[in-house]
Amino acid sequence: MPDPVFRSMPLDGMTRIRLEELSRSMDLALDACDMCAIQDHFKSGTRAPTDVELEVIAQTWSEHCKHRTFNAVVEHGAEILDGLFKTFIRDVSTRISAGKGDFVLGAFEDNAGFIRLDEKFALCFKVETHNHPSAIEPYAGANTGLGGVIRDILGAGKGAKPVANLDVFCFGRPELSDDSVPENVIHPRDTMKGVVRGVADYGNRMGIPTVSGAVYFHEKFTHNPLVFCGTAGVIPVEDISKRVEPGMILVLAGGHTGRDGLHGATFSSLTLDEESHDTDRGAVQIGNPIEEKKLTDFILQSRIKGLIESINDCGAGGISSAAGEILSRTGGTLILDDVHLKETGLKTWEILLSESQERMILVIRLENLEPLRELAAVYETTCSVIGKVEDNGILQVVHGGETVCSLENSFLHHPPVKRLQSECRRPDSAAPTGSRKLKTLLADINICSREPVIRQYDHEVQGNTLIKPLAGAGGDCPQDGAVMQVRGSSKYFALGVSLTVHTGGDPFAMGHAAVDEAVRQVLVTGANPDKIALLDNFCAGDPRNPRDLGPLVECLKGLSSAAGIFQAPFISGKDSFNNTYQSPEGTESIPLTLLTSSIGIIDDSRHITGASIRRNDSLICLLGAEYNPQQAVMNYRAFYEAVQAGCILSAHDISDGGLAVALAEAAFSMKAGVEADTVQDIYAECPGRIIFEINAADREQVEEVFRNSQLSILGHTTAAHRRLVIRQRGQEVVNEPLEELKAIWQNALKPWC
Amino acid sequence: MAERPQALVLKFPGTNCDRETADALKLAGFNVSVMPVTQFAKDSLRTCRLLVLAGGFSYGDYVLAGKLAQLELECSAGNDLRSFTAQGGYILGICNGFQILLHLGLLPDGALVENESGRFICKWAGLHKTGVSSPFLEGLPAEFELPVAHAEGRFVHRTRIPESRIALRYSENVNGSMDSVAALQDATGRVLGIMPHPERFVRREQHYDRDWTGHPMWGWGYFFFKSIHDHILNEAL
Repeated sequence: MPDPVFRSMPLDGMTRIRLEELSRSMDLALDACDMCAIQDHFKSGTRAPTDVELEVIAQTWSEHCKHRTFNAVVEHGAEILDGLFKTFIRDVSTRISAGKGDFVLGAFEDNAGFIRLDEKFALCFKVETHNHPSAIEPYAGANTGLGGVIRDILGAGKGAKPVANLDVFCFGRPELSDDSVPENVIHPRDTMKGVVRGVADYGNRMGIPTVSGAVYFHEKFTHNPLVFCGTAGVIPVEDISKRVEPGMILVLAGGHTGRDGLHGATFSSLTLDEESHDTDRGAVQIGNPIEEKKLTDFILQSRIKGLIESINDCGAGGISSAAGEILSRTGGTLILDDVHLKETGLKTWEILLSESQERMILVIRLENLEPLRELAAVYETTCSVIGKVEDNGILQVVHGGETVCSLENSFLHHPPVKRLQSECRRPDSAAPTGSRKLKTLLADINICSREPVIRQYDHEVQGNTLIKPLAGAGGDCPQDGAVMQVRGSSKYFALGVSLTVHTGGDPFAMGHAAVDEAVRQVLVTGANPDKIALLDNFCAGDPRNPRDLGPLVECLKGLSSAAGIFQAPFISGKDSFNNTYQSPEGTESIPLTLLTSSIGIIDDSRHITGASIRRNDSLICLLGAEYNPQQAVMNYRAFYEAVQAGCILSAHDISDGGLAVALAEAAFSMKAGVEADTVQDIYAECPGRIIFEINAADREQVEEVFRNSQLSILGHTTAAHRRLVIRQRGQEVVNEPLEELKAIWQNALKPWC
Repeated sequence: MAERPQALVLKFPGTNCDRETADALKLAGFNVSVMPVTQFAKDSLRTCRLLVLAGGFSYGDYVLAGKLAQLELECSAGNDLRSFTAQGGYILGICNGFQILLHLGLLPDGALVENESGRFICKWAGLHKTGVSSPFLEGLPAEFELPVAHAEGRFVHRTRIPESRIALRYSENVNGSMDSVAALQDATGRVLGIMPHPERFVRREQHYDRDWTGHPMWGWGYFFFKSIHDHILNEAL
C-alpha cells in the first residue's frame, strides 16, 4: 500500500494577513474572506484541516469551478443584482424554455446543454475557454483546450458522441514588430501558429470535424490571447439522465495520472505577468489525442451496452473536481491507492488535483465492473476503481489506509457569496468605422478569407458535414452556419458563432447584436427559428475592478433582452475572468469579449441553404434595415416561411464590412455577376440583416410572404459579366471584377498563417 | 438475390473513419463488421471478401504514419494477409490505410510523406483514371472528385512506379505527390491504396456545391464501393 503524503495545516489564531499569505504560498487563489470562512469552519471541529482539504476547497471554490463572479451580489450603480447568471441568463432561459415544450432537455446542470433533435436523439453543446494555458504554451494550451471540451461532451448525460467541433480565437495583431512584444510574451504570429496547429492536431486525430469558428485580431489581445473550443454531441434522449446512488462505484478510465497540470483551476483565476511563462508551465497539461480516442471508443461502447450510470470528465481540478461533483448530492469515499500513476512520489493532493489529460470518471453498478474491464481491454484503455457512492453527504478521501480528507458537501459546495462593485458608465461613443473602400475591407485581416486556417482542420471526417465552412460552386466561399446530418435521423442541425468585442460603443447593444448574429447565422442555413438554442462565453478582465465589471453587466442586460425577444434560450455557457496582464507599467485587461454560439434544428433536408450565389438570372433581396429587434423577429419568421416554401436559393448574413462585403462574399462562387442598388449605407454593420437570392419567377410569392417585413429587392445576378456593381440611390459606388476582389480576399491572411 | 459479400473494417487505436466507411460499404451492398485490432485473429478473414483499413491516425502517427499499425498487423495476421489475396480476397486501404499497406509491402515500393505545404490539407481534389483496370474503379467516370484530408499524403518513390500500378492521379497535385499519384494497386489489382476519402462522398448532398450535377442521388464514393461490390458478386457467379 502506498504511503499517503499529506500534512496537517492548523489555521487557528492566524490573522487575515497570515491566511492570505498561506493562500498565496500554496497557490490556492483564495482571498482573505474565503480563507477566514475555512478557518471558521474548522474552528467548530476537533482537528485542523489537511493540505489535501485546503487544496480540494480551493479547487472547488475557484472561479473556474464555482463561477464566483457570475454568482456574486453585484452593486451596479443603484441596482443590487443578486447573481448575474441567475438574473440575466438562467431565469430568462427557463422562461423561454417553458414555452417551447420539450425542446430544451437540459440546461446549466450537466457538462453540456441538451436540446431535442427528434423523437429518438438529443444534441448537446458546450464551449469552453483555454486562455491562460494558450498564452503560455499555445500548442499545448489549444490542444488540451479542445481535448477538454470534447470530454465535456463525453461526460454529458451517460456519454454523448462528439460530432462537431468549433474554434474561435482572439490574437494580437500579427504585423506587430518583434520589439514591441515584451520578452516573455509570445508574438501573436507565433501564438496563432501554435494554437491553430494545436487545435488541428487534436481535432483531426480525434476524428471530429472542425466545422465552425472565427479568428479576430486586436492589439488588446497581445498579452492575453483568447482560445474558445466547442463541441457538439449526439445522444439518445433516454441516456441524458444520470444516476448516482449509494452502492455504486467510481471508476477512473483513460490516461495515467502525473504531475502535469497542477493548479490549472486556481491558476486560471490569477493574472498573467512577465514571470508566468516560467513559473506557470507546470499548470499546462500535455495532450495525447490517441489516448482520448481510445477512451472515447470505450465510453461510447460502454454506454451503448448500458454499463454507465453517470460520468464526468477530469478537467480543471482533476479527480477532486470530477468526483467531487459526482458525489456532491450523496457523499462518498475516494480511495487513491489504485490510481494508475505516470511516476512515483506524488503527494496525495497532487494525485487528487492532477489535471493529467484524457481521464474520465464513470459511475457504474458493481456487477458491471467485469464487462467494463473487458471493453477497456478491447479498446486498449485502462480503468481502475477509485471509490464508492455513499449517503452520508461527506466527501472522504482515503490514501494508504489513512483518511486525508473529510469535508461535508454542505460546506464544500457552498462558498461564501462574493460582493462586487460595478461601475455603471454612460456608453462610449462607438469606435469610428475604419476604411470605406471595398478592396481595403476585403484585405482586412478581420474580414478576409479564413481558408489558410480552415484547410488545416479536417472538417469532413465522419462524413456528416453538409454545409462546410467553405462551400459554394468552387468549394471556397465563406458560409454562415455549418450544417450537419445526424446518423439515424432525418433532421439536421446547424452551428453558428458570433464573436463580439467591446472596443467602444454601448455594451448593451453589443449583447443584443451578439444574440441577433448567433440566431441569424443558423437561421440563414434553414434552421427553424423556434428551435434555436444558445451558449454564452464571456471573457473579461478583473472582476474586482468595477470598470471591468460595468460593461459586462450592461452587455448581459442586452444579451438577456435579446434572448427574450428572439425566444432563444441559453442552455450552457462558461465565463473566464482575470484575463489581465501585469507589466511594470500597470495592469492591462482585455476588452470585454463575448462569444455567443448557436445550435439550430433544420427540420427538412430541402430547407438546407448555403451562402453562395447559384444562378445567373436570379434576384437579390435584402431583409432588414435599421435594427429593431421586434421587427427583426418578424423578418426572421417570414424568412423561415420563405425557406419552407422553397423560395430561398441562397442566403448570407450581413456582418463585418456590411452589405458590400456580404454581396462580394456571396458572389465569390463566380456563378454570376451581381448588380445591386440600395438606399442603405453599403458598409454599415448594423445587425438584423440578411441578403438572399430567389428565382425571378418567385418574386410575387416572396413579396407576399414578406409583406410585413423589411424587404427590398436589391438587384439581380447576371450572366453578362463577372463583376460586383453596387449603386447607392442610382449612383455607382462599386464596380469591380469579382476575380480581383476574390484574390484580395483569399490572400490577405496567407502571409501570417 | 446473391448473398451480400462480407467486408471487414479493421480498427486500430486512432482509426477514425471506420464508421462512415462501414456505412458506405453497407450502402453498396456489403455485410460489414468493424473489428478492433485487439479482436483480430487468424480466422477473422475466413469468411471475409474485402478487408478495409480505414482512415485516421493509427497509434497517433507520430513516427512514420501507419508504421506501428503495420507491425501490429504483421504480428497478428502475418502471412495470412498475403494468402488472403492469393485466395481471392481484396484489400483496400484508405488514407491511413494506404500508408499501412505501403509499410506492409503489399503495394509498389514507395512512401507517403509530409505534404509539400508542410500542413494538413482538407479540400476536394479532382482525380482522373489512368486507363489501368481496377475492380474498385470500374463504375466511375474517367474524371471525378473526392475529398482529401491528410498531413502525410505526398507519394514519393526511389524507382519509378510502373504505369500499370498507378490507379488514380490528382488533376491538380494537392500535396506534391510524384507522378501526381493518388491511388496505387498491386500487380493483381486486388490491393488498392487510395489517399482521398470515397466514404465521405456517397450521397450527392455531401458535395460542397448544392448544384452539383454528377448524379441525382449518389456521390462518386458510392460508385467506388459499388464497383468492388459488383465485381466480387460477378466473380462469384
